[in-house]
Amino acid sequence: MKDNTQILSIITYVVLLASVSILLNDMREFDFNQFKAFQNWAKIANKSDSWFTSQNVIQWSYYAISAGLFFWRGYLIYGFTYFLCILKEVENGNFFSENNIKYFKKIGDIFICYTINVSVLRFLLATVGTSTFNVFNLLKTEISILIPCGLGFYLLAEIFKRGKEAEEENELTI
Amino acid sequence: MLAKRNMKSNELAEIIDITPANLSILKSGKAKAVRFSTLEAICKALDCQPADILEYVED
Repeated sequence: MKDNTQILSIITYVVLLASVSILLNDMREFDFNQFKAFQNWAKIANKSDSWFTSQNVIQWSYYAISAGLFFWRGYLIYGFTYFLCILKEVENGNFFSENNIKYFKKIGDIFICYTINVSVLRFLLATVGTSTFNVFNLLKTEISILIPCGLGFYLLAEIFKRGKEAEEENELTI
Repeated sequence: MLAKRNMKSNELAEIIDITPANLSILKSGKAKAVRFSTLEAICKALDCQPADILEYVED
């Protein structure tokens, strides 16, 4: 069991490192390429335009939403770190521990929060006119994968809760 | 029943082959269930009937 959990821990570390590096790379590309375009636009923009109707709002909304998307991606990666905590508990032989139930619930929360917030932000991104929002694409990616996964983790939390009760009952049968 | 037989908890635990901690759980009524083998061992050690050591208390 210990060997299996160690292999799973290594795989989780690799996935986490790969996700963090992809996120950091995307952030680097975002800063260098797209922010430059905005700076060029800012130089030639008409300063007498009212703030709310100007492109300024749209551009800054775009950056705020993009920053939000990066934040939620980081939050999803943070959610994956709970797998390491679960593996640690399993390695120590605490299968049906209170911590495991808590971690499964947290992972479920993070998956569902990520999906809802990213969907909203992508919709907003489409409204400021910098991307195309397609509900079918969304169904193909986040909603169809992460929502069932999130619900699956809630289910696992419930199963582990029942397991913990059964384990306690078993321990108290003398 | 232990007092009647002039026996200590640790002695009983040793005779019936359970830990003193588990015997304490049994005595405090926190146990969820008792195995027939444990009950049989207790009755044998204390020379009594199950009714002498079990009591129904309404919640």
